[in-house]
Parts: sequence; structure tokens; C-alpha cells
Amino acid sequence: MYNDKDLKNETKKIFFEVFQNMNEEDFSWEKQQKDYENWDSFAQLNLITFSEAKFDITFSLDESIEIKSADELFECIKSHLT
Amino acid sequence: MNVIDYLENNSKKYPEKNAIISEDEKISYKELYEQVQNFSLSISTLNKQGVISLIAENSISFIITYLGIIKAGLIVHITSTEISEINLLNQIKSSNSQLIVCSEKIFDNISKYSKIKIPILKLSELKAVSNIEEKTFKENQIAHLIYTSGTISEPKGVGITHSMIEFTTKNIVNVLGYSNSDIDVLPLPLYHSFGLGCFHTSMAVGSTVILHKDASHLQNLLDSIKKFSATTIAATPATLTKFSKLYNTDLVDYFSNLRLVITNSTAIPKSTIQSFREILKNGNLATYYGLTEASRSTFMIFQEDTTRDDSVGKPAPEVNIRIEQNGNSRGEILVKGKNVISKYWNNEMADENLIDGWLRTGDIGFLDKENFLFLKGRKDDIINVGGEKVIPFEIEEVVKQIPEVEDVAAYGIENEIFGQVIKLQVVKSIESNLDKSKILIHCLKNLEKFKVPTKIDFVEKIPKTSYGKVKRFMLK
Repeated sequence: MYNDKDLKNETKKIFFEVFQNMNEEDFSWEKQQKDYENWDSFAQLNLITFSEAKFDITFSLDESIEIKSADELFECIKSHLT
Repeated sequence: MNVIDYLENNSKKYPEKNAIISEDEKISYKELYEQVQNFSLSISTLNKQGVISLIAENSISFIITYLGIIKAGLIVHITSTEISEINLLNQIKSSNSQLIVCSEKIFDNISKYSKIKIPILKLSELKAVSNIEEKTFKENQIAHLIYTSGTISEPKGVGITHSMIEFTTKNIVNVLGYSNSDIDVLPLPLYHSFGLGCFHTSMAVGSTVILHKDASHLQNLLDSIKKFSATTIAATPATLTKFSKLYNTDLVDYFSNLRLVITNSTAIPKSTIQSFREILKNGNLATYYGLTEASRSTFMIFQEDTTRDDSVGKPAPEVNIRIEQNGNSRGEILVKGKNVISKYWNNEMADENLIDGWLRTGDIGFLDKENFLFLKGRKDDIINVGGEKVIPFEIEEVVKQIPEVEDVAAYGIENEIFGQVIKLQVVKSIESNLDKSKILIHCLKNLEKFKVPTKIDFVEKIPKTSYGKVKRFMLK
């Protein structure tokens, strides 16, 4: 089981894997999808896919669409693991 | 010159020479020609014109029957010994075949098919009669009819004319250097264009065919190569890969007399090509690209230069290839030449793939600056991810770069948002701890976002045809 700190670390790693050219200062938990240069629908798909594979979980269609920030992804993953 | 002329000429030039040596019998050119003549007469009494179906395993009887039907001026419809009842019924109906001639083993199976209403005869039941009647053939007369393997669609009948056989055989002989001194090991099914083309070649030059029922016993093939001092062998990439993995250290000795190993257009693993570079001390590995509708359209002889190991070679002499590009350098491969059919067998819908002599192959690929052709998959296999076109082959190539990946197949699955997304089936190497995240990270680094798979299943085996092609319809 992950504690919040570990889970946040893993979620953040997913962001940096999907957005390969992102710098540390470009990341924030609250930053919204529209404020990312490369967060398009395919990047959304990659985030979901990567999270599902990493934690062996499955997001519903609604969840997949509603995630708009790193924090929301973290909360969504957490809800599946608890 | 047609295949009967080849045989007749050789029966005069090399009457006592072995034309075919099979696992349990052999036959000289003179005997083969006589038996083909006799057989053609026995067929003539049964059927004055039309199509006769031949279903049998590789054997000298198969060859006599095949050539005998052609010599009788009829069309021989050849089909797989593994054919299902429904496919056989479809082919009989489409070809309008009047008679089935089959081996004893096949007879036991198909005689149970109650819906087949035409006569079924065993090879042994056909007896020769006297009074040989000479036949002449028109160039555009169909010699044999093969149905292309329908996977999800209706099979298409492909009628191969005498002139197509002559053209293709001439190209094979010239490009790959076949001669009457060759001894050719042939373990490929004769009901397939690859095997049949090899057989025609041997008949054209007057070499000796060492005919095997199949390639399932590798040691038998090796024994034949050694026993008969074979100079060529034809085999699928899957067989060659098995050879290179199982017998790597001993193969050099077995293959020392071979001047040519010919395989076909399915992608050959680079490691297999490299193994054969080392194994073949006095010969070359070669491949070709072709369809039943356009046999041997390219040839590739693998040389020391490894940069084009994934190419299927340059267009064959007097064969034109062009790529119908769709926004990038890759596109559908179109072929034009005397090896290309002018129309399908009673199939107007399929004829739409033929425009001004150009055959739309349905294969995706590109030509490099020196006109080498590279295959990149099937048009039907293209995955449409939110309007972006993805060729599975491209994904598979990238995933195969991961050392722990033994095999992989990519295909499209339905998705509510994107229409389709990409799914992978992956075979991990033994004892590997490869996980899905590692595959995704590798894909994210090496592919555009829309090409990254969304689902990954680890499986024991990828379903493939005996020719090594992924059966994608079975993945979905």
C-alpha cells in the first residue's frame, strides 16, 4: 500500500514520463490542463494508460475525462487504491 | 514455354535424371513426363473442359496430377489440405469445379461433407487410357486457380496463366541463378504460390527436387541437405528462425554446399538474417515480395551490408512498383507487370483492385532512394486513433527494441472517445520481470503520443500463420 507521500511521488513520476520535456518548475499539483502546452487528448490518454498500468487499476470513462490536473489524477488513483 | 514444355524438354535432355525425390519414392524426367501424359488422358475422359480441384499433401502423385490436369488443357484448382468444409464449399461453388481429386487421407475427411455434390476421386482411382492427344496452350490460358486466404472476407480466386508462370519463373531463374546442376530441397506446400513457384523453377532448369511433405522435422531437412548435397532450400522465415536457434553451431557443416536459401516476404527477424550470414559460408539468403496475384514482385539477396536487412528488395525485372502516398512517404504498394493478374476469378468487386494494370496490394510500405522496398503492414490493419493513422508494424518495431520482449503484436480496439486505441499482446522472454510501465515508458520515449498503446496483455504466444504472419483477426 502507498502512503500519500509515496503515491504523490509516483503520480508526479507519471507526469514527467508523459511530458518528457517538462522542467521541475513547470509542474504544480494545481496547474490545470489548459495551462500545459502539450496536455492534449492524447496526453490525457497516456496519463490514464500509464496510471492504470502502474497501479493495476481501471478508470471509468467519466473519470478519464474529468481529470484536469495532477492533483485530480492523484485523488482519482488514490480512490481506486483505498 | 509453359510448365509442360519445361517438362517435355527435360524429358528429352535429361531422360534418366531424377526430377523428384520424395521421402519414399523418386521419378526421372522421362517417367514423370510419361505419367503426366497418361494422367492427362485419364482426366480428359472425365471432363472435357473446366476446373478440377486437387487437394493433396506434397507427393509425386500431387505433381503428376497437377501437371496432368494442365496438360489436359484444364484448369487445376489447388487448395490447402487443411481447408475447412465451409471454405471448400465456397471455393467449389466459386470455381465451378466439376471434380475433386484428392489423396486417400483427404478423401476420408471430405467424403463426409454432405453438401459437396460433385464427384470426389482418390488419386489412385484415375487410370490411364491410350491415344495421346496433343494439346497446345494459349499464353493467356489459365493453368491453375488458387484462392487467397480469406481471413475476415470472402476468399478471392486468382487464376494464374501460362504466361504469368513463364514470366515469373524466368525472373526467379535469372535473379537467383538457378541451373540444371541445382538440387533443390522443397518442404513447402505445393498448394501455395511460394512452393509452387519453386517447383516450376526446378522444372524450368531441369534440376532435381528433393520433395518433403512439410518442414516440421528439421532434422529430416538437414539430413536431405547432406545426403543429396543440396544446393538450395526454400523455407519460411519461421523455419529459418527455428534452424538458427536450434542448430546454430552445426548448421555451418550441413549448409556448406548450399548456394541459396530462399524465403518469402514475411518480415524475417534480423537475428535470423545475421545467423544465416554466418551459417552460409558459400551461399546467400534471399527473400522476395509477392502475392498470389503478383508473384515474385521483388527480390532481395542479403549481402554483407546490413543496412537494408528489413527490405524485401528491388522490383523484379520488368516489374514496376509504386507507392500511393497519403501525406507521407509510406503508402499502399501498387504493382504492375506480366506477373500481375488481369482480373480475379468471377469477382467484379475484387477487380476494383486492378486499375490500368496496377494491382492495389493492400500492403503498406515505402521505396528508398535506391528503389528498395520496405513493408510496413497491411492497409486493413491500420488503426485509426482519433483520426490519426497508425501502422501496427511501427509500434511493434519499437516495442521489440526492449530486450525482454520476445514477440509483440499491436492492433486496434474500440474506444468511446478516440474510435480506436492501440492494444498490445506481448510475449516476455523467459524469467523476465518486464512490466507494463517499462513498455509504456519506452513507447512514450520513442513514439508519438497517439501511437502509445493504452492496453497491454502479456501472453504465451502470438497467433500466427504457418508463414509467420500475425493473425490479427484472432487478436481482437
